[in-house]
Amino acid sequence: MSIAKGPVRIFRLLVLAAGLLPALWLALRWGQDDLGVVPEEAVVHLTGRIGLALLLATIAFSPAFRLTGWVGIMIARRPMGLWAFAWLCAHALSWMGLEQYWAWEWIWEDMQDLPYVRYGAAGLILLVPLALTSFRRARQAMGERAWHWLHRLVYVSAALGATHLWTLTRADYRLPTLVVAVLATLVLFRLVDAARHRR
Amino acid sequence: MARYRYPAIAESEVTPRELFRQRRRFIKGGAALGAAALLPGGLLLPDNAHAWQGALADRLEGDLPTRGLGGGEAPTPREDATSYNNFYELGVRKSDPEVYAHKLITDPWSLTIDGEVESPATLALEDVITRESLEERIYRLRCVEAWSMVIPWIGFPLADLLKRHAPTSRARYVHFESIHDPDNLRGQKSSILDWPYREALRIDEAMHPLTLLAVGMYGEVMPNQNGAPIRLVVPWKYGFKSIKSVVRITLTEERPVSAWMEQNPEEYGFYANVNPEVDHPRWSQARERRIGERGKRETLMFNGYAEEVAGLYAGMDLNEHF
Repeated sequence: MSIAKGPVRIFRLLVLAAGLLPALWLALRWGQDDLGVVPEEAVVHLTGRIGLALLLATIAFSPAFRLTGWVGIMIARRPMGLWAFAWLCAHALSWMGLEQYWAWEWIWEDMQDLPYVRYGAAGLILLVPLALTSFRRARQAMGERAWHWLHRLVYVSAALGATHLWTLTRADYRLPTLVVAVLATLVLFRLVDAARHRR
Repeated sequence: MARYRYPAIAESEVTPRELFRQRRRFIKGGAALGAAALLPGGLLLPDNAHAWQGALADRLEGDLPTRGLGGGEAPTPREDATSYNNFYELGVRKSDPEVYAHKLITDPWSLTIDGEVESPATLALEDVITRESLEERIYRLRCVEAWSMVIPWIGFPLADLLKRHAPTSRARYVHFESIHDPDNLRGQKSSILDWPYREALRIDEAMHPLTLLAVGMYGEVMPNQNGAPIRLVVPWKYGFKSIKSVVRITLTEERPVSAWMEQNPEEYGFYANVNPEVDHPRWSQARERRIGERGKRETLMFNGYAEEVAGLYAGMDLNEHF
């Protein structure tokens, strides 16, 4: 076992905690009836926020690697991305079950009528091919170049997620503003970094 | 999935009315004694301190006539109605208004009626409470965010108050203004809305017998988070029209612009009548979540008060005048 394995394992455990602990926390609060007057609404909102936060964190892994050069970050990126995907799936499912009560005609109606639902759905659907090709074999089969191009869709997905949040906000834009600012910073870093490498 | 069920309260646990009246008298007596005890100490309260609370407590002791206009539906549990609120002056989260309720200073309170009236006045709230005849009205409340409640309000028709001050022939609209106290109200430090909160009705809407000024709910004084000490209740309109903590009522000739219209004119119209067929540009208005219930209900035209109020809008295109 090399010396590098210790910190990598710890970092992977941290990523596992980031994905799993919010679920425990949410389950505990649900169990204690501590999610406010409308727990269904709280679950839909919290799963979405956690999912979006994890997605932004996943995107931040690559700049963090550029800045530190520590390979552990890139090893933990895939599980982080999959956690984000899982949370966003949970968000969509909780919306269908706890907001629409599995009434497919309502779900379809809202998909057609409400822009925020479409933004959110599009953002999540874009993540499906990324999750499916996140495994080593798929990556090898695709080739590095194609894989990297495909996985840039994560920026589009996050932008759709931010738009979704912005569009459904009624009056307090602090959280959507923060999300947009973080995403813009990450995109900017990526662009500057790419330009520097081209030179 | 398990969901919390509200426990049914056994008849034996309900405090008999006579007993809780006695308690109330006892508490009032205690408060009076306490106030008296402060007098020689120099820590003088203004002579109108607690005056409207006293006046209202006297009225609540009497038997108030009750009119159920909530379609016979059971009122929302009081605990829910006082802890799930939109009152941005006290914070933007639903739980904020209850947590920061004490930041709304309601003592003393006065109400100004001016503009196009023959006899404008600034009234101490206790005088308003004493001269109007209070009654209980059980109304549905539908928020523009697609949730709803059934609330037993205590109040009096706005028309009763307006008539006393004799609107002039030029009075076509009624403008309402809420408290402006940014030192205490944390929400008013932010620019979510242009404070103070303002709302308005057409004069015939304001004079409609369903339109109330409420000073209490669930048989008690209005909790701060629900808009103490006096608020508007217009049951066929989205909740944001029912302005809380009113300090001024001005009759006008020109149509006023409300705080929400100013914030987003595309989304918040002057009328804001509950209408399942006209969606808010970003949310559906077809259904609603009745607080305390699983599942969703179909939203009713004019929140179920079409029979009483549809005539006010005869011939109007409700898509245009949303």
